[in-house]
Amino acid sequence: MKSSLIALLLPLTLAAQVTPPTNSWPTYNGDYSGRRFSPLKQINQLNVKALTLAWILHPAAGQNPSGTIVGGLGPDTPPLAGRESGFGGLQIKATPLMLNGILYFATPDNAWAVDARSGREIWHYFWKTTGGIHIGNRGVGIFENWLFFETPDDYLVSLDARTGKERWHVRIADVKEEYFSTPAPIIIGNHVMVGTGGDTLDVPGFLESVDPETGAMQWKWWSEPLKKGDPGSETWPNENAMRHGGGMTWVPGTYDPALKLYYIGTGNPQPVESGHGREGDNLWTCSIVALNVDTGKMAWYYQVSPHDTHDWDATQTPILIDGIYNGRPRKLIAQASRNGYFFLLDRTNGKHLVTAKMIETMNWSKGINAKGQPIPDPAKESTIDGVLVSPNSTGATNWPAPSFDPETGLFYVLTNETFSEFYLADTDPQPEGYAAVERNAATYGGTLRAIDYKTGKTVWSHRYPGGGGSAGILTTAGKLLFTGDGAQNLIAFDPATGKILWHAGLGANISNGPETYMLDGKQYLIVGAGDSLFAFTVDQ
Amino acid sequence: MAVLALLCASLPLAAQNPGSAAAPRVRRPGGGAGLDYEAYDPATLARGKATFTAKCGFCHGSNARGGESGPDLLRSELVRDDDDGNLIGQVVRNGRPAGGMPKFEISETDLADIVAFLHEGVRAEAERGTYKVLNIVTGDPKAGEAYFNGAGKCSTCHSVTGDLRGIGAKYDPVALQGKLLMPAGGRTGQRRANAPVTVTVTLPSGKSFEGIMERIDDFNVALTDANGDYHSFSRNGAIPKVVLHDPLKQHYDMLSKYTDAEIHNLTAYLVTLK
Repeated sequence: MKSSLIALLLPLTLAAQVTPPTNSWPTYNGDYSGRRFSPLKQINQLNVKALTLAWILHPAAGQNPSGTIVGGLGPDTPPLAGRESGFGGLQIKATPLMLNGILYFATPDNAWAVDARSGREIWHYFWKTTGGIHIGNRGVGIFENWLFFETPDDYLVSLDARTGKERWHVRIADVKEEYFSTPAPIIIGNHVMVGTGGDTLDVPGFLESVDPETGAMQWKWWSEPLKKGDPGSETWPNENAMRHGGGMTWVPGTYDPALKLYYIGTGNPQPVESGHGREGDNLWTCSIVALNVDTGKMAWYYQVSPHDTHDWDATQTPILIDGIYNGRPRKLIAQASRNGYFFLLDRTNGKHLVTAKMIETMNWSKGINAKGQPIPDPAKESTIDGVLVSPNSTGATNWPAPSFDPETGLFYVLTNETFSEFYLADTDPQPEGYAAVERNAATYGGTLRAIDYKTGKTVWSHRYPGGGGSAGILTTAGKLLFTGDGAQNLIAFDPATGKILWHAGLGANISNGPETYMLDGKQYLIVGAGDSLFAFTVDQ
Repeated sequence: MAVLALLCASLPLAAQNPGSAAAPRVRRPGGGAGLDYEAYDPATLARGKATFTAKCGFCHGSNARGGESGPDLLRSELVRDDDDGNLIGQVVRNGRPAGGMPKFEISETDLADIVAFLHEGVRAEAERGTYKVLNIVTGDPKAGEAYFNGAGKCSTCHSVTGDLRGIGAKYDPVALQGKLLMPAGGRTGQRRANAPVTVTVTLPSGKSFEGIMERIDDFNVALTDANGDYHSFSRNGAIPKVVLHDPLKQHYDMLSKYTDAEIHNLTAYLVTLK
């Protein structure tokens, strides 16, 4: 018991932040930096062509598989809205955690422990849902022997990692307000960071810190000021607008242990696709915010989309980069944002350093202001007769994990060039909900981009002939970049040049971020594709 | 007694009034919400709107989004959490003296109708897949015609007396504009059936294959030729030579060129082609 406890704790120590763990994958991004870079190089450019399938897992979801541990508050026959069929069946979007030879991951309402050596299930937990959008789950968090995951009907569930038995569940938000929860909880010290989502009923976003032992709330940070006169309230017309202003926290954030700051990107303001009734910048929506992990107090914010009206939340992973900028070492933070711009900031104070356009078709901005923020063109806000906007609401990029490789100095991201026509549907002076209809006009495939963080310029790009999918990215010291295209291929690129070195068709698009770790002296590459999890190794 | 009253008030209206069965909960195709919302019959909703406007509209606005003195009820947590009137009924009958809301004597039927109207209002916001595009015919048809024959170069491929003859009668304006902006059918379009991309694959030997493109990625290309035979080829960089032909390329290229006024004018013009 004791030795496993130590092993569980070790990967999350400060030292692990400098040198990412290699014998585990203890948190959503592998470490707190969000880089998804592994120093492992047993699998490398010389032997990548010899990658061998170690195992495939098709996890059995739902209430019926024998041995399933059942929890949850919903009926035996789930609400129609709570069935996964609406989102293409079971999709593994989680990045599994790996500790002591056991993988832990989740899909909406389901969590599993799996033997990392064999791909065999150890236990399966199922949560009977009361509803909520079942679009995805980004995984679990772990603290000592306690596992945490969020459900579409907005509960934080804690399981005993050894048995899968439920310890407790606490309500995060009200599913009847159309909140739904997808993030992987991030554990920092004795704080479980819990975010949520939901865009249709004009509800405020928040991030909670929860006690891992009891589930009690330690602090709650709201994405908007709570009352008139509070800092930020000058960016809203009234309290009604700001208290229903959105700003969801649905992608896990990053953390700098030295600064004790948790960085998270906030979602779009609400009503989503009309700015009527919420005139102003709408702080702190579409922002990168730095929160003190012990108090939840905001140290700084930088808003990447003032007064967004196109659903371009800024939740994309803000990656911590310790690198050179203007000739001296700096503590930096970078985001490739859904609105189509790349941003580089100083993460000690939020000072703006770089803003750069990522996609060529973008047509919604009138340029960059003195603070480096894009200036929205009011003519591209939805009208009754429609406006043509690039990118569409899915954005230039979305939740699939980007990566930063400190050896190449390049930031990697999947982008899409798209157009949509946006029609205002709610003509009330104070619209509600999404307020507009969007019709997608075109998606011009997808492009993997390697961006120089110092300038925001694309150094190389690879356009997928069959379109981009929604795969995350992993880079390694083996001089490899793993990701997937939109044609069901897992692909290894040379991160320096974009040359393709290896691929395998997996029968479904890569649906999560690939990860890697050492187990029994072997480097494993783990990737989810649709309803299956694949493990690859190179025979030594 | 007070406890009893509270218990009664929290009973679903359906149980209190056997005449109005609870509406079925449904999920509308493409609704996009996370809950199964009630499907009320139109007569109930019409009565609910009338009753709400008469009894509640003065304070809460006739659309329930808030008025002179009452809050927005569609953004009310209590309304969203209500089941068949169990919460709304209590507030209506007991009032909220602290907030300035008087109590109302109201029949079971009227209350049930108001409850239906409020829940429908929430549903209509939540299920964005059911939102409707309004009037998009706002442009100048003359300017649209000039664009069609001039800068837009539409007439280089299309003719209003040929392929587009009567197109304004064939499609409603929203569908018609869709043909222009998303000719392959948008996100859910049947690209292969409507306007397939074709491909020519030329092998190093000089032999070439042509047909409807079935699949392409960095590693393979596949096509179905005019005989209905399927061919697939491994790709290794530039070998074999692969050339794609997209009959809709011009439409896609135009997306980076159109102004919104040009789209509106063109739509207004096409609508006149009855």
